[in-house]
Amino acid sequence: MRAAVLAAPLLAAALLAGPAQAQRDGQAGPPPQAGPALAAELAQPRIAVDTAFTGADLLVFGATDRLLGPAGDNVVVLGLGEPRDVVVRRRVRRLGIWVNGPSARFREVPNYYALAATAPVAGLLDEPARRERRLGLDVLTARLPGPRDTEFRQALIDLKRSADQWNEEEAPVEVSGGRLFHARLPLPSTIATGDYVVQVMLVRANRIIARQELSFRVDRVGATARIANFSRGEPFLYGLACVALAALAGWLGSVVFRRG
Amino acid sequence: MPVYLPIAEMSVDAGLLLGIGLGVGWLSGLFGVGGGFLLTPLLILIGIPAPVAVASGANQTLGASVSGLIAQWRRGNVDARMGCVLLVAGLAGSFAGTQLFVLLRRLGQVDLAVSLFYVVVLGTVGALMVRESVRAIFRRRRAAPARTHQHSWLHGLPFKMRFRQSRLYISVIPPALVGFGIGILSAIMGVGGGFMLVPAMIYVLGMPTGTTIGTSLFQVTFVSANVTLLQAVQTGSVDVVLTLLLLAGGVAGAQFGAAMGTKLRGEETRALLGLLVLAVAISLLVALVRTPGSLYLLGPAT
Repeated sequence: MRAAVLAAPLLAAALLAGPAQAQRDGQAGPPPQAGPALAAELAQPRIAVDTAFTGADLLVFGATDRLLGPAGDNVVVLGLGEPRDVVVRRRVRRLGIWVNGPSARFREVPNYYALAATAPVAGLLDEPARRERRLGLDVLTARLPGPRDTEFRQALIDLKRSADQWNEEEAPVEVSGGRLFHARLPLPSTIATGDYVVQVMLVRANRIIARQELSFRVDRVGATARIANFSRGEPFLYGLACVALAALAGWLGSVVFRRG
Repeated sequence: MPVYLPIAEMSVDAGLLLGIGLGVGWLSGLFGVGGGFLLTPLLILIGIPAPVAVASGANQTLGASVSGLIAQWRRGNVDARMGCVLLVAGLAGSFAGTQLFVLLRRLGQVDLAVSLFYVVVLGTVGALMVRESVRAIFRRRRAAPARTHQHSWLHGLPFKMRFRQSRLYISVIPPALVGFGIGILSAIMGVGGGFMLVPAMIYVLGMPTGTTIGTSLFQVTFVSANVTLLQAVQTGSVDVVLTLLLLAGGVAGAQFGAAMGTKLRGEETRALLGLLVLAVAISLLVALVRTPGSLYLLGPAT
């Protein structure tokens, strides 16, 4: 089952008066009223990975002080995982068989990337602004340290997208009542455990005028966590336990089926 | 029903794993092979990361072999003495094979080497088995008397030992060499080696087919226990949830397979195993030659 919390817009309204304080970037004129221009929150600060985990949707919700929409402000939501070094290899044909050929190593590649906005981001912000905030897979990969070969960069995008680890603007940020917004970031079942960051940005007149940074953790829980910790902490004992369990299962099977 | 695998870090349908376990377990009981040469490629095919597939495959092979071994032991088909000789030599061989594996990794072509090993070894073993067993089937049809085994130079070697269960009185050198060689191959290919051991026992050592299956299961049980332990310590990629799901189907399949194996004639069993081994070799060769769907691969930086 995919976990999602639905009562968010109501909570978002309550948040307007809450303590969450948005940082103000840039100067887009004085605020029309007191209070933050942007307030956002995550439905869950922790994603629990148990034996029934098949992926989840993380709900990001919040409210703005002015109206959202084509004529007004826009909200951009960016989810980022921890940076990892990866290698992209190209397969080449040698003597009729396919072997691993040239490779490109990329450093600090986020293991998760999700982008959503109330309108296409390319139309909201110019390229330097998008590049600075890594808004778009094209500007994300263009910024990565690594070889400049565009083929390998495109291959990295394609491979990450097909593994559901990266996605961009697949579903828009939904707006209700003019000032409340919510977005669902899809987390695949293969999501890595660790710390994640969600950046919520308020865009007015092609500028990011407010930004709020939220974070969540992906943790294993229950039997899943115990097995993973045991295997890491006591690998020899874990190996012995695997041998014993497998032998026991084999023996049980032969006992059960002798009677049958 | 989807279930999350703690070491593979992904969600897989439990029914699919039970089905794979059942099929591979059935073949394991029928032919006396661990089934690693089938199971590992199948697990990789459904998206399990390769190291987890190899390590958990070895662990499942252990369970399935124990189940098959007990069934064969009851029928008096295990030559424990021959099994011990093969096992000691096999453990020494797998140690040597591990060193060779490290060397291949240093040369940077370990994937290719493993694939080519599979194609060459499986292809040769499969073709030889099919050829011999088809001949044996035709010979039987013509009602010509078949000799139990031929006397050759192998019978002139020293250190003779009596293997009562196999009705053999031969030198320990040939079984030790067979065990050592298969130990090397199984370490590089990440399999128990039963599919190579069964034909080697029949054609090189001249053992009767009935005993080879039980004896091979004896050897595979201990080799796969060793591999499971080594993998758990060195790579930490044994997924016990994956193993137990595969085994739940596998132990049932192994019993059916062992019961069916007693109804088949030796040469028919050998012909079927030969065809299966050949089919796996051909499909791996096709995978090497065919243009891949994606020209690029993604991996963690090492």
